[in-house]
Amino acid sequence: MTKPLLSVENLTMHYTTRGGEVAAVDDVSFSLHEGEALGLVGESGCGKTSVAMSILRLLPDNARILGGQIWLGDLELLSLPEPEMQKVRWGRISMIFQAAMNSLNPVYRVGDQIIEALELHWGDISRQQARERVAELYQLVGLDPALMDRYPHEYSGGMRQRAVIAMALACNPDVIIADEPTTALDVIVQDRILKRLTEIQKKIGMAMIYISHDIAVIAEVSHRVGVMYAGKLVELANTVNIFERPLHPYTAGLMASIPSIHGEKRDLVTLGGEPPNLLHPPSGCRFHPRCARATGICIEQEPPFQDYGNGHYAACWHPMEVDYGSH
Amino acid sequence: MAEATATTEHVYVPLWRVRLSLFWKSLRTNWAMFSENPIGLIGLGVILFFALFALAHPILMNTIWEPRVYDPISGYDMEIPFHPSPPSARHLLGTDPLGRDILSQLMYSTRYEFALGILSAVVTVVIATTIGAVSAYYGGIIDTILMRLADLVIMVPFLPILIVLSALTDVGMIELALVIGLLSGFGGTTIIIKSQALTIKVKPFIEAARVAGGSDFHIIFRHMIPNLLPISLLYMMFVVTGAIFSEAVLSYFGLTTIQMSWGIMINTTQLFGYLLRFDTWYLLIPASLAITLLCAAFYLVGRALDEVVNPRLRRR
Amino acid sequence: MWRFLGRRFVQMLITLLLFQAVTYFLIDAQPGDIADLLTLDPNIPPAERERLRAQLGLDRPPAERFITYIGNFYRGNLGVSFQEYPRPVIDIIKERLPRTVVLFLTASILSFWTGFVTGKILAWRRGGWIEYASTITGVTLYTVFTPWFALMMIWLFAVALNWLPAGKFLDPLKWLDAPISANAVFARMIWSSFFALVIVFVGFWFSNRVPRRQRLVLRAASLLVPLVGMLLYWRLSGLGFYAWDIARHLILPVLTVTLIAYGGTMLLTRTSMLETLREDYVLTARAKGLPDKVVRDKHVARNALLPVWTGLVFSLGNSVSGGIITETIFSWPGIGLTLLNSALVADIPVAMGTLTVVGVMTLISHLIADIGYAFLDPRIRYH
Repeated sequence: MTKPLLSVENLTMHYTTRGGEVAAVDDVSFSLHEGEALGLVGESGCGKTSVAMSILRLLPDNARILGGQIWLGDLELLSLPEPEMQKVRWGRISMIFQAAMNSLNPVYRVGDQIIEALELHWGDISRQQARERVAELYQLVGLDPALMDRYPHEYSGGMRQRAVIAMALACNPDVIIADEPTTALDVIVQDRILKRLTEIQKKIGMAMIYISHDIAVIAEVSHRVGVMYAGKLVELANTVNIFERPLHPYTAGLMASIPSIHGEKRDLVTLGGEPPNLLHPPSGCRFHPRCARATGICIEQEPPFQDYGNGHYAACWHPMEVDYGSH
Repeated sequence: MAEATATTEHVYVPLWRVRLSLFWKSLRTNWAMFSENPIGLIGLGVILFFALFALAHPILMNTIWEPRVYDPISGYDMEIPFHPSPPSARHLLGTDPLGRDILSQLMYSTRYEFALGILSAVVTVVIATTIGAVSAYYGGIIDTILMRLADLVIMVPFLPILIVLSALTDVGMIELALVIGLLSGFGGTTIIIKSQALTIKVKPFIEAARVAGGSDFHIIFRHMIPNLLPISLLYMMFVVTGAIFSEAVLSYFGLTTIQMSWGIMINTTQLFGYLLRFDTWYLLIPASLAITLLCAAFYLVGRALDEVVNPRLRRR
Repeated sequence: MWRFLGRRFVQMLITLLLFQAVTYFLIDAQPGDIADLLTLDPNIPPAERERLRAQLGLDRPPAERFITYIGNFYRGNLGVSFQEYPRPVIDIIKERLPRTVVLFLTASILSFWTGFVTGKILAWRRGGWIEYASTITGVTLYTVFTPWFALMMIWLFAVALNWLPAGKFLDPLKWLDAPISANAVFARMIWSSFFALVIVFVGFWFSNRVPRRQRLVLRAASLLVPLVGMLLYWRLSGLGFYAWDIARHLILPVLTVTLIAYGGTMLLTRTSMLETLREDYVLTARAKGLPDKVVRDKHVARNALLPVWTGLVFSLGNSVSGGIITETIFSWPGIGLTLLNSALVADIPVAMGTLTVVGVMTLISHLIADIGYAFLDPRIRYH
């Protein structure tokens, strides 16, 4: 196997709040290869966004990274000095934010905001070249290049989202992190943008981390899927495997909560209970209070994140089924 | 009242007790938030200090202070040959050029400053809250007229008008409080409260009250205004600051008919030509400092309340 | 944009008319009139008094008199001062207005600029003693009793340190054999500073469009040229001595008004910066790899400026009041001092005239603030 483009190793990050320490990300490891789309899925508050923000080192002041390493090629991002990190941001890793509606600055022209990034990372670019590049990006995401001299408030929600994607693509980054980029949009626009995004991803062959709470969207865009629960990565496998043979009961629960559009009759199951309070996470396996298969060991000990073959990892004492045994 | 009967049918607790306990509960949580802010607590402390200061005056006058000597307006200390006299055991802050005790004047004036500030703040808030709620609730032409009026009033230069007005008429404490209350009630405060009222107008409980058959009057006064009160209270603080300040300036210019106030004390100092002297600091500094401190205290409490009332400013 | 301006202008005119109506009728409603005053003398028979009233137009209905007044006002006839009879009010205003405008404008620009810049920096440094010290300074300046503060400034700079004169427009002893009047010197001061500032602004504006190396040279030049020009002009004209006398008298009032207005702007900028910091586009800007300083100045401060600018509009009334108080304490013979003095001696034409001028000044500041806002916020500009 080739060397991964980006690899996150044992990342642990806590927030200090008035109530105490919140273990937002706990011992998370995964890697991303060139041209690959990795989906991160989980309920809100499970630490997906915190992982993304840790990679870019854009955490709020009350966050502390307690351990782990993040490698981008040969660069270790967590120990990189700030000026070097500024070059990595957008130059090599860019991001499409959750609230794309508000991620454009209202007082500047949209095109200028993209040019700003270009001028920063491609220092010797002329104004004219930068504008041509923006026009090219606009065409790529399906926007009229004439719009680049308009202000964000003159864009519709879908247009803004496209502009934000264009901005993320501007400097030809190695990795794009898309954090719920379509959540605020209506379903039709959402679908169109999603299609465009996967098209572009295939065309350019860039690596992408796609974060969403919506497993159906994740299935559509990603090659591999990581499932997060309460700050921990509980399962990681390629998309087919995770849908056909989920190992972790939580993943299985997530699958069961999406209705099938193929008309097969099956019961829609919803996960009972609430995601745990991370100020006082449950002992052992953090999922045990909501898990039907939980036994004594689940309460007492944390399950290891284990390889079940075929690159299918899971952290569970009682996985749903194990049929990679033969390899 | 639709709402009252609906509640009492299911819950056998009198409505006022429900309200009181809810009020108490919100008071406690708000106090918890307020008390986290040291700046607000300092402001509250200063206000309390001045309140005690004001209350102490009549007590002192009836016990250890002889009215003939210590009366803030007509007192005169004949045992001291020259007035003004510097601070001494007899007169802790000295005497003014007319031989009156400065501490006594300072304490006596405090209660009027409070009365003035609170009266004008109440006038402002009653007007601003009513107009804000009515204007937000009805919208349309009523809103346009009232808001244009507010636009006009905020453009009016406040102090110059008061100067001309008080030069031509006799302006006392009450007139001043009313004028200040009216001007700020129709102006900036209204605009802010109306924008708040607009966010309340679209809340589901207003819709619910309307569906339940509540009259416009009922909805405005029982549902909108109670929800506007926190922000009104906040702006009351700023009005108090403005009112005390304006009174002091006008009195200092000698434009009011007020007999004694902090502004008058400085005016007296000026009339007798002691304003720019280092040796008679006790004539100028206590009164000026009192004005500054009380204004600052109300302003600080306002700022701290702002953080409680306005979720955008809340610290996580 | 033009429609917005046009609407604003019409609104302004209506406001001014209403303002004039209110002040006119308020003063008119006061008991007694000038004829009563003139005829206190019992030797003048009632018939003569009535004749005087008719001559002065006092027997006509208030509405008619108001219309006459407004008509005269817009023809530039504001009546004659009682106190400095028979000097026309418009003449007094023409003399005093530039002094007030210079004081007010310089102080407003200085306080807004310094308040915004320091507020911006302070917001970036949260916590610790700097935050407390700056908040306390800001609140103190914002709530300090203005006359007292002005007096303290005089105490400090004029009495204790004896650096600057304690007040007034000029030192009469130095002007005994001046070739031209103080007002003429002051007018030249205004024009020369205006041209100097225009050169500085144009220079800086151009410097942002040239390559980095030439930028510094251009900026230095655009500072040096007007400076040298000013020095030469005042040296050669032989008026430098007199101009310096006025300038020295101007420093302390300007400093006082600036400091008073500074506190509010600084506090507001800080709050506004802290609110803007939470916006998503700030995160985007940081994710783009922009250095902290660029994020702060270009993305956060630019947006934080909007509420600060609005706050400026709301506080204009306060600044006008602060200006009047300061003029009074420093005996700076501008509109504010004239207003107060005329009010104190019931010189009604001058009081009305200056009050209207103050009203017009406030309205114009509002208009400028509105135009400025429209330029700052593209969401308004294109509506």
